[in-house]
Amino acid sequence: MRKSIVNMLRAGTILAAALAGAAGLAHAEDTTLTVWDFKSGDPALADYFNAVKSDFESAHPGVTIQYVMQPHDQYYTLLGTALAAKQGPDVVMVHGGSQAKERTDALVKLDEAVAPIKNDVAGWAEFTGKDGGLYAVPLSIQGFVVYYNKDLYTKAGLDPENPPKSWAELSAAADALKKAGVTPFALGNKEGFGADFFLSSVAANGLTADQAAAWEKGELKWSSPEIKAIVQAWVDTAKNGWYPEGANSTAMFMDEYETFERGENANVVGLISDVAHWKEFGGFLGDDKVGAFIMPPLGTASGALKMPFAGGIGYGVTKFSPHQDLAIEFVTSVASAPHMQTFFETAGAIPSNTKVDTSKVASPSAKLVLGWLGDGPAIVAHNSLPSAVEEEWHRQSQLLLTGETTVDEAVAKLDAAQAQANKK
Amino acid sequence: MTASTTSPATRRSRLGNRPERLALLFVLPALALVVVFRVVPLVWGLGYSFTNYDGINPPSFIGIDNYLRLTQDPTFIDSLVNMLILIATLPIWIALPLVLAILIHQGVPGGKLFRAVYFFPAVLSSVIIGAIFNMILRYDGSLNAMLKAFGFSAIDWLGNSNTALFSLIAVQLWSTFGMGVLIFLAGLSTVPSDMLEAAKLDGAKLLQTWWYVVIPSLRPIIEFAAVVTTIGMLTSMFGLIYVLTAGGPGTATTLPEYLIWLEQGKLNSPGYASAISMVLFLLMGGLAAIQIRIMSRNANL
Repeated sequence: MRKSIVNMLRAGTILAAALAGAAGLAHAEDTTLTVWDFKSGDPALADYFNAVKSDFESAHPGVTIQYVMQPHDQYYTLLGTALAAKQGPDVVMVHGGSQAKERTDALVKLDEAVAPIKNDVAGWAEFTGKDGGLYAVPLSIQGFVVYYNKDLYTKAGLDPENPPKSWAELSAAADALKKAGVTPFALGNKEGFGADFFLSSVAANGLTADQAAAWEKGELKWSSPEIKAIVQAWVDTAKNGWYPEGANSTAMFMDEYETFERGENANVVGLISDVAHWKEFGGFLGDDKVGAFIMPPLGTASGALKMPFAGGIGYGVTKFSPHQDLAIEFVTSVASAPHMQTFFETAGAIPSNTKVDTSKVASPSAKLVLGWLGDGPAIVAHNSLPSAVEEEWHRQSQLLLTGETTVDEAVAKLDAAQAQANKK
Repeated sequence: MTASTTSPATRRSRLGNRPERLALLFVLPALALVVVFRVVPLVWGLGYSFTNYDGINPPSFIGIDNYLRLTQDPTFIDSLVNMLILIATLPIWIALPLVLAILIHQGVPGGKLFRAVYFFPAVLSSVIIGAIFNMILRYDGSLNAMLKAFGFSAIDWLGNSNTALFSLIAVQLWSTFGMGVLIFLAGLSTVPSDMLEAAKLDGAKLLQTWWYVVIPSLRPIIEFAAVVTTIGMLTSMFGLIYVLTAGGPGTATTLPEYLIWLEQGKLNSPGYASAISMVLFLLMGGLAAIQIRIMSRNANL
């Protein structure tokens, strides 16, 4: 009797162990890393996202990567809700600059984990928190250059191989283009992004190193002569007919860029990441018809112009992720050289990994962009704006275009918004 | 002690009889849903409005600072002014469907078709409506193409502060007035035909009949429609603002509901957004109180 009880207990223990093992196995099989982004559904990036997923899943049997692409214009509202609820994604995509920096408290510090790849990858500054820690792995490098339509330059009697190098030359080119019936610049400012791009591209080579550092700390006021002059230039260029009518009701993505692709205007402030860039414009106008130049600063530039660029988008790990170790492994894999090679070759996005071979690219404007990368970055002015100040700049930029406010009034309101943000 | 002295009859009257207790039991699930999904979030929102909650770090109590900030926030003040402008257009929102309903009720040719056509936009999502009107109202859109074809200048309907809010109001009016037509048609069916007949026999002209007979008879319906429309104005414009203007230019089309979304989602300030929500809630509560008062007064007529 006693033996049978012991046997039963033994059998029960074995069964329990088997069930526990099965449960453990089932758990391993069920591990899903949920990755939130606003890019994975883009056909141009499909090869990259698929490669990252399949390589990681192959190296980690039983793990599934689940991309959840959220709508770009609602992304931070949805992400804010997930972060407040402390549930949802294990890995999140964030833009570099204020959007990443204002969320570092919700993200895992990655310094130790990214140490092996740190020297191969660029763009970390945009994902660095106030404590100096790294909170996301940069995926792309984002920069701002002026792309131009060489045919329209020729039509206006301008040398298509010799784009403007100073503000005076740019103004003269704009006058020539207007005379030829061509709108000098495409512009969409419905969300205020046009004003962001203008600010960053003009400020990049217009501030001294000290001024740029002060701006990044929120200490250089909008009413300072340097910044106020840029705001004034925003008004003056509009008054001088650089932009098409209706900029305040034109969305930048993609209405503004479509007007450039249709050849309706000669220049556009574009990007170097995976959208509104050399590859996209070359696809519409022809690679040899698209030129690129760095927006000159107001007045006289000192020395060669540098392209404003910084970390573009990156991946961070949420503090509430139940699979943090796995998620950290994943985010360090996204920027590996082979994956980034795919990122560059299929989407045309400038990758964060400096080991990527870019030598085979044929587009003349891409070659220029890649060359400017080697010169080092100039400041991306709007990246360091707290989101509340950036929102106020969006509002004021629209009122400046309609003439409902003056430059003095606008910079006063922006100073007030900056002071309010500095209190936080 | 008190309980022991309460007679069984008193206890019964307090708890109701058996059918009433059963009814209460059936109501409880719905009541629980209201409490869980309405009252609890409201109380949470009220709590957050007194904090500096950023959606990530634990909130700290800051007293009425958010409410004090509201009094000095030009964007919030602009949103209230925009709201008042919106409410000031209420007579159009009432008069337009009322006139059309009367015309349909009086049997204009094709009345049934018009009724369906007027109602049709009510079944469309505001995002779809926004996308359609974006194509019509944008600077290079079809409305400006038409204006230019007739020799007029193009207008930046959505990008100019003088026209953007009114463009939004016009679109919202277009998409909702069909519901008003239906409400007024329902009300018109209750107007006694002998009164209309009597007015006709007394020699009243068409407009006189409308003014002295039809509209007074519809007064309770008009009051109801006015309150419901006003509340709808304050809570249902978000989709159009989001798609058509993004609150701009400047703050020209920023209404409190859009500002709540902006502060909560884009500017990482759920605490401040909660304070705006509370102010909007009080405004809505005031309107709801008016509505209840009107409806109870009408019930006594």
